[in-house]
Amino acid sequence: MPDRFHVLVAEDEPLAAMAIEDFLSYKGYRVTVAGDGQEAIERYRADPADVVITDLRMPRMDGRGLIREVRSMSTTLPVIVMTGFLSAEDELTDGSWTPLEILRKPVNPQVILDTLQRMLGASN
Amino acid sequence: MSGGPISIFDTSGLMPHGVCLLWQPELLALHVASDLMTGLAYYSIPMALVYFVWKRRDVAFSWVFGLFAAFILACGTTHFYGVWTLWNPDYGVQGIVKAVTAAVSVLTAVALWLLMPRALALPSPTQLRLTNHALQREIGERRQAEERYASFFSNLAESLFVIAVRADGTFAIDTINPAHARATGLDPDVICGRPVDAVLPPETAAHIKERYAACVAAGGPIDYEETLDLPSGRRTWHTVLVPIRDAAGGVVQLLGSARDITERKRLQEELVQTSKMATLGTLAAGMAHEMSQPLNVIRIWAETALTRLRDGALDRGRIEKVLVLVAEQTERMGKIIDHIRTFSRRDGGGSQDFDPAESVQSAVELLCHQYELEDITIALAVSEEGWLVRGRPFQLEQVILNLLSNARDAILDRRSRSPGGGRIHVDFRVRATNRTAIISITDDGGGIAEEVLSRIFDPFFTTKEVGKGSGLGLSIGYGIIDSMGGRIEAANVDHGDGRRGVRFIITLPVIRPTQSEVEFAHA
Repeated sequence: MPDRFHVLVAEDEPLAAMAIEDFLSYKGYRVTVAGDGQEAIERYRADPADVVITDLRMPRMDGRGLIREVRSMSTTLPVIVMTGFLSAEDELTDGSWTPLEILRKPVNPQVILDTLQRMLGASN
Repeated sequence: MSGGPISIFDTSGLMPHGVCLLWQPELLALHVASDLMTGLAYYSIPMALVYFVWKRRDVAFSWVFGLFAAFILACGTTHFYGVWTLWNPDYGVQGIVKAVTAAVSVLTAVALWLLMPRALALPSPTQLRLTNHALQREIGERRQAEERYASFFSNLAESLFVIAVRADGTFAIDTINPAHARATGLDPDVICGRPVDAVLPPETAAHIKERYAACVAAGGPIDYEETLDLPSGRRTWHTVLVPIRDAAGGVVQLLGSARDITERKRLQEELVQTSKMATLGTLAAGMAHEMSQPLNVIRIWAETALTRLRDGALDRGRIEKVLVLVAEQTERMGKIIDHIRTFSRRDGGGSQDFDPAESVQSAVELLCHQYELEDITIALAVSEEGWLVRGRPFQLEQVILNLLSNARDAILDRRSRSPGGGRIHVDFRVRATNRTAIISITDDGGGIAEEVLSRIFDPFFTTKEVGKGSGLGLSIGYGIIDSMGGRIEAANVDHGDGRRGVRFIITLPVIRPTQSEVEFAHA
């Protein structure tokens, strides 16, 4: 793989973040982990990612804040949201944030991988 | 003829009195008959008097009757001696008899005059009759009043009982009214007049004797709530005891009235339980997130391991790491589930002694992580542990959860107008001097309008929009704290740095330090 895809994972649960990092690295991706939205923005600015995977509820800056920020920098960046609780009429589901996919917790890493590949394939 | 006292008994130169009558038989007969009759009568009268006084022991001034008897007896003797001197000139002896009579007569006369004021003071039969009549009337009135009160006692729907306080300090059941007999299932014919110990099970008897002793010690009315096992079943009563004193001021009886509040208590518990479930409902979203975190961790690690296993790239070290992690995460979930389960459980029937600091910590622990995600910090400061309060731990935790939830709502509401983080301070301290535990919960949610502050503990009062608050949380909290003998107050605070908020202060009476504190104090 000439240039590995760069994935930024924003997740406040370190054990979950570590597992995702472990799995995606194993599958050949370059992974950066951030503990909250604020840290993710800083890492993105320093080293822009090809895809962002984020939790919604996080301290300091939550997932919505992070999505808003990265969208202001890139309108085409694929975003994957992992959440345990989302109401049907949430703003994230109304289509204005695309490209965006929502995965329900507990997530299957294989599903993350499939979604990732599909979104990266579409963006290329 | 020589002089001296003996000479008056010398009759040698004297003539019998009959000579003066010239021994005329008619005159002699007249005098002898009259004197004898008079003398006999005079001897009979004193005997009658003495007999009367002897028979009527209650006669006032009975000694005067004795004097009268002596005086009349003496007079009788002079008459008999008058007959003797008709034929025998013993005028000396007759003179002495007369002198004795004179002395007794004078004594009687003087005594009679001295006695006169006291004799006059004695009530006359008419007076006595009138007094008796008045007394009869009063007895009638009293009897009527007694019947009226007895009728109240017997017919009132209120449970009434009278406890006799015996000289040795023990208690006996004097009487109970039919309402009390019905409510308790106790049979008055069996229990009345018997000691408390003899008619009630030992545990119940010990419990109520403690209350009776407290009323005697207080010397005034006391009231309390208690749950007792009686023949009618386990019921909760609100009882009022009033001490009744005798003329000397000692407590001789306790008058009790009892109201069966079992149903009211049950409804209160129902309300508390409902509100607790509502509290859980408001926490549900946060709980779901808390639970989904460990579940998520387990899922990802398991799937990752599975993928490696299928690729043949799973080493022993990684298997161990994943399994340890899974075990830890299930334990983390187990704790959350345990907490919810114990919190939502109905807390049995009775209160217990517990450390309020634990309830405070438990409530903060349940929420702090969730609140952190919403950028709200809970700062907990527990300065003392090991003091006990009486009540139900999960009810206190519920009150604190409710206050924390209100604080969060206020912060989020304030934030919708002016952005910025939120801080909630939770402090727990004990004032050993007046034996109170103080829990204070302070937010920076902007405070409550002063005109609203006085109404926030009223049932159904809410400032939240329809559907967001029942308006019952604080009023139920107030009830819970009140039942623990404590109080809850609210005041606005200005943090000084532009932040304003509300401080809720819960004050609870502490019973005693736990065993470890006692040991520490004696060390």
